[in-house]
Order: sequence, then C-alpha cells, then structure tokens
Amino acid sequence: MFELQNMTVRFSFGEALREASLRINPGDRIGIVGESGSGKSMLAACLMGMVPDAAELTGTLGVDGIDMTHASEAHWQTIRARRVAMIFQEPMSALNPLRRVGETVAEPMRVHLGLGKAQARARVSALFKEVGIPDPDSRLRMFPHELSGGQRQRVLIALALACDPELLIADEPTTALDANVALKITDLLVDLSRTRNMALVFISHDLAAVARATTDIAVMYGGDIVERGRTAEVLANPVHPYTQGLLAARPDPRAVPRDANGRRRRLPTIPGTVPPLYKLPQGCRFSGRCAVERSACAYVKPAPVGPRHATCHAITQDTL
Amino acid sequence: MTLLRAQNLTRRYRLPRTKLLGPAPQLTAVDNISFDITAGQTLGVVGESGSGKSTLARMVMAFETPDAGNIQFEGQDIHALKSAELRRLRPAFQMIFQDPFSSLDPRRNVGWSIAEPLRAMGMHAPERVAEAFGQVGLHPQDAGKYPHEFSGGQRQRIAIARAIVTRPKLLIADEAVSALDVSVQAQILNLLMDLQDDLGLGILFISHDLAVVASICDTLLVLQHGKALEHGAASDILNNPAHRYTQSLLKAAGDRL
Amino acid sequence: MKSLPANFTIGAVLVALVLGAAALSLVWTPHDPTALNIRGKFAAPSAAHWLGTDQLGRDIVSQLMAAARNSMTVAIVAVFLGGSIGVALGLLASAIGGWVEDGVMRLADLGFAFPALLFAIMLAAVFGPSLTNAVLAIAFINIPIFARVARASANQVWTREYVLAARAAGMNKLAITRDHILPNIAAAVIVQATIEFAVAILAEAALSYLGLGAQPPASSWGRMLSEAQTLIYLAPELAIYPGLCIVTAVLGFGLLGDGLRDVTDPRLARAR
Repeated sequence: MFELQNMTVRFSFGEALREASLRINPGDRIGIVGESGSGKSMLAACLMGMVPDAAELTGTLGVDGIDMTHASEAHWQTIRARRVAMIFQEPMSALNPLRRVGETVAEPMRVHLGLGKAQARARVSALFKEVGIPDPDSRLRMFPHELSGGQRQRVLIALALACDPELLIADEPTTALDANVALKITDLLVDLSRTRNMALVFISHDLAAVARATTDIAVMYGGDIVERGRTAEVLANPVHPYTQGLLAARPDPRAVPRDANGRRRRLPTIPGTVPPLYKLPQGCRFSGRCAVERSACAYVKPAPVGPRHATCHAITQDTL
Repeated sequence: MTLLRAQNLTRRYRLPRTKLLGPAPQLTAVDNISFDITAGQTLGVVGESGSGKSTLARMVMAFETPDAGNIQFEGQDIHALKSAELRRLRPAFQMIFQDPFSSLDPRRNVGWSIAEPLRAMGMHAPERVAEAFGQVGLHPQDAGKYPHEFSGGQRQRIAIARAIVTRPKLLIADEAVSALDVSVQAQILNLLMDLQDDLGLGILFISHDLAVVASICDTLLVLQHGKALEHGAASDILNNPAHRYTQSLLKAAGDRL
Repeated sequence: MKSLPANFTIGAVLVALVLGAAALSLVWTPHDPTALNIRGKFAAPSAAHWLGTDQLGRDIVSQLMAAARNSMTVAIVAVFLGGSIGVALGLLASAIGGWVEDGVMRLADLGFAFPALLFAIMLAAVFGPSLTNAVLAIAFINIPIFARVARASANQVWTREYVLAARAAGMNKLAITRDHILPNIAAAVIVQATIEFAVAILAEAALSYLGLGAQPPASSWGRMLSEAQTLIYLAPELAIYPGLCIVTAVLGFGLLGDGLRDVTDPRLARAR
C-alpha cells in the first residue's frame, strides 16, 4: 500500500534520512524507534508528503504503486486525510483554541467528503464515541482548554480518523501525557488499527510504548534504519550494537539497584552524544560511539544483513 | 545524618473566582507532606503532572513559602530566615532544572554561568570552576563557549557543574533527565550517582518516570494530587507496591517489554 | 547567510542619510544657516544655493542640515532620557512585583493619559517655550512607553529557568536584573527606542511648528514649515523641503525599528 524504497532526504548540511525502505500493508502496526536526530520524524514527513522544500529526495515513495516522490502539493492534498493522517505530540498546540472541537473535527469531513452540517455532526459524534470520549454530543461543543490532555489527544485522533485513512502516523503521541493516560491512548490506537484494519506507524523514543503498540519495529539512528523485525524479537534479542545499547541504557524499575558491596549499580551507557546532522560519519552513522567498531566503520556504509536488515559491519551471516 | 527535614508541608493556590461573591476556590497542591533527606542518600519523588512534585521542589528551594509546615535544612527553618541569611545559606543547596535549553542564559558563556553561584558568594575562584568542569566530564577549555554550542546532555552537565561548584550538601533535581534521550539519560544518572558517592550529596530527585527514579533513589515518595500515597524504602515499594496507583506507574514504566 | 528584511535595509539607508547630514552639519554647511541676505531672497536653485534661499535669503540646504542636527539631538536626548527612566521603572516593577509593580504601572497608565502636546504647552506656559522644554515633554511621554515594554519583557525573562538558577545560586534581585534581565530585554528596548525615535522627531517638528520648540535663530524643520505656511502659494517649495525631511526621518526610523524587530524576533527569523 505505502512503500518507501531507498529513500534518501538530503539537505545542504547533511542527510536526514539515508536509503530507508519501509513497506506498510493494511492493518500493519509498525513502531519507529530512535532518539532525537534519528530521522524518525523525517520518515513520517516522507509518508505525509511534507518534506521541506529545501530537501532533495532520491529513491521512491509508492502509494498503491503510484510513485509519489515528486508529486505536487495538490496531488498530496488528495492523499492526506483520506489515505494517510497524522497525530502529533502536543495535543494543546495542535488544536485551534478558538474553535469548538466538534467544528475542528467536522471540517475535513465537509471539505474532503462533502458532508453537510448535520451529517458531519453525526459522524463526529460517532467518532468521538469510537475514540472513547464520554458524552460525545456535549463534548463536541467544548473548546480545547475545557478538555484534559488525554481527551484532547483523543479529539486529535478523531480528527485524524475523520476521513477514514488507511494509514495513521502517530508521532510521539504519548510523550506529553501522564503515564496512565499514555497507556490508555496507546491501547486505543491498537484497538482502532485492529477494528478498522488501518495501518499504524507509531513513532516514539519510548520503547515500552512501542512494545505495547506494535507488531513490527524499525530502529533508527542518524537517518539510517539500523535494524528491523518483529517487535517482540528485536526487543528480546537485539542484534545491532545501537539497539543493544539503547535497550541496556533504559533503567529497569525492577532491577536490584545495589550490588553485593552495597554500591549502587551504574546504568550501561552509550558513550558520547548523537552528533548533529552535518557531523555524522560517512560510513556507519553509529561509528564513534560503538563498542564493536572496526577501522572501516566510519568510512564504509554497512549493507543490511540477515532477516533483521541490520546495518553493521560486525554482523555477518555467520554471526547471526 | 539528617540534612533536610520537611514536616507537614502544605501549599494551597487560589484559583480564579468562579462566582462574583464568596471565597475564591482553592487548590491544595501539596497536602501535609513530611520527609527526611539524609546526607549521601537520594529521596525519589514520583508523580504525574499536577501531583505537586514541582511545588514541593520550589518550597525546598525556598522559592515558595508553605502555607503550613516547615522545612529545616541542618536544623534551620529556611522559610523563617531573612532574605540575606537565606542567600548566605543557598550555596549549600542547589538545583538542577528539567530543561537544559532554558536553564542556561543564552547570552552568557558557560564558564560565566558556572561561576555565577561563586560570584553570589563573593568568590572569584577559577580553579573551582575548572574543577567543576572536570567533575562533570567536560573540558575547562569549553568555558568560553555558549550554550547553543552544546548538545542537550552536555548542557545538562554544565547545569550540574553550576550546581556543584559551591560544594553543596543537597542537590534538588526536578525532572533533570526527562528532556534527554535515553542513552544520554543513563549517562547523566550515572554522573549524579558518581558525584553523590564522591561528595556525599543528599539528593531530592523528582521525576514522572518511575524507572528513572528507581535507578537512583534510596527512599521513595509517591505523590498523587498533592498527597503522599507511599513513602519508604525504595526497594520495598518497588517490589511490593501497596497502592494500585504505584502498580500502574510500574506497569507504565514497562517492567516487562 | 540570511538576507535582511527589506524594511530594515530601506530604513537603515534613510536613517544613515539623515544622520549623515546632521553629523556633517557639525563641521560643514554650504553657508551659514542663519546668515540673512534680503537681497538674495527666494533665489532659485543654483550652484551656490542647491535648493535656493528662503524669504530672508537664508540657504535652504544649510538650514535643513542644521535642522536635522537639532531634530536628532532632541530625539536622542529625549528618547534616551525617557527610555532610561522608563526602563529603570519597568525593571524595578518587574523585580519587586506586588504593590510596587501595580503602583508603577498605574502611574504609567496616568502618563499615557497625558497628550504630549498638552504637556509641552503646559511646560511652555510655566517656564516659557524652549528646546529644553520640548525635550522634557517628549522624554516624559516616553517614560510610560518604555516602562511597559521593559516590564513586559522582564516579566518573561524572570520566569526563565536560568533566572531561577541565579536565584538558587544566591544572587540578589539587583544582580540578577543586571546580569540576566537587562541583557535579555535589550533587543526589545532597542527596537522600541528606534520606533520612538520616529515619534520623537515628529513630536519635535510639531512642537516647533507651534512655536513651543526650537526658538529663532535655531533651525528646525517644524519651524521652517510654520514660516513657509504664509508663503505656501508664493513659494510652496519652502514647505515641501522640510516636509520631505520629516517624512524621510520618520519613515526611516519607523522602518528601521520594524526591521530590527523582524531581525531580532526568533519566531519571525524562523519563518524567513
């Protein structure tokens, strides 16, 4: 349905995305995991046709077999909302504070689907019910500030679903929410994907949320997809050194915090910081921070190896 | 040795009036909270937004005055001190903020920022600034650079250097790693642990992320709507949470991926 | 390299023109701007008198240049004086807060209620008309403007975490104001000052036109305008030249102020 092939997004100051390939079929739930600067939001921008004009695109983005890589803005407007929709991190700033939330959600229906006022209203009410907003008929008359953070995120999900998209991209949908609310929103997204057979791309730095939301995962670093596979398998048995480091660095609330000598355990770390785009190494983006680095790593781009498509020179068919 | 003792802290905020007549409604942000912080130990405070954890930090920093209860730092009630006396005491308790992008003045080089607490004490001690740079794993040559030249993790190191340059006894960390990437977060947590072991700091560590708090704290205080739900040894609470809310926080922290 | 906004560039050129003429008049003018030459009155533009002479035979270019100097001096002194007092009050209000802040801001409201012209007329009535009184009147109306700008910007800076960190470090409010607040509101104040410059030039021209500003024989665009008024059918150019000068200066500073705001506002910078 949606397919990225060797997509590279190049700016004058560096590559935000490098030869990324991703196939999305109806009902897929794919997690994109990475830290800031990993290119995960640029991947989402590609799928929405919202890459900044300054960027140069190579590779292809197919939507139902049609190459949309260099499609016009007008063409994309027929795709967005109806085929692919997106929800964002900050539920407050994504809603116009001066409009009732019902009007906001009804607008794309009236514009894209040509629904009348009453029809649209009925649909908004049904959508609010679907996304778990209690008493939808009174809520749709409210303004954003009258709703809690979780309710606002539900409104945004309803807005994204307004034209029944086949693909929903959720960019850090739970980061701004409290832990318990985040769990409920994550579960809601999974339910919606299941009942609507809608593909879900769940972008997050939060491994626990991605584990909960998705069946497949792509781990990104410095614009590369460094590893991919079934979510459970990748998280249980990561093969790329970056994925391994990222998983180890997560504090575990159940870990014994002190060793036998009563000294507090230190967390395993990945040394250094993510370099800015213009300072990324030419070869493996992770070189310079990697524990198993070889001399060639900084200069030679590693080819994807094995079923995980892991991009690492230290991984060969034999070691897998 | 008890460094800080908070007793029955309560803080109320007046909300905007909903009626023309009658008293304005009140929000009790912190409700009758008591805790001790011992030298060399960390008290973790975990709670969601609106739980009162930041209000707690601001009261411990004496930016705000409690409506009831008191905070004693080494036996002195910090809210009873005159402002000049409080300023003299401040080098002993320092704070690290959540956002390393806004906790450093963009118009000042980082050496200047780190030296600020020393200047407040009337000290000019470049060797102390250089030492603080080393303690947080940065080079003293970086002193002339400006905040925007550093990554988020490096800025948080600079903020920590500023907090420890006065050789404080107590450090208050309000969401100090929440804005950082996971891999950088672990580095900063380890740095705080190292500094604590080396300097014998007491730490008040506040976060919404139970996993992060659990990795560093000795005792734990779970806050909800300004009230203490659980308070005790961290290992007890984490292994055997008494409250459903704590259990749900543990679940959210991803006890199992 | 980011390109500068057009209003900034145009404003800067116009301002440079006016300031240049004013600066040059300190050391050189084609003729003595006050020298009368009744026989040579209403002379047409020539190599000796580039824009001709007025009804008393004074060289117009020389007068315009000297007037530019007077206008600039009045504007600089008045805006600097009013701005300094206003910024100090705004910073004080912001640092102390509470009833002090309320008090200062209500005083500012009171100041806003005073029309500058009325105040200048009052000063002139009490102390007699003079350039000094014009300066004082213009400075006075600038105080509440700068107090508001300074307080609003300072209140924002006070909520920043680096200010909280400075408080945690034990810095007192005076030191924090000096080290953090003032440098971080400077851009907003400079932008406001540039815009108020334009207003001050206009105010000076208006006061001088009414005879409440520069007194003869000192040159002033406003006074040149008022003197030309009676001759408007005979020699309209006598009114047009100072008018153009006023427009150039006001437009220049106005554009420069707008441009500066665009340059220093990070939100707008991102949009470019």
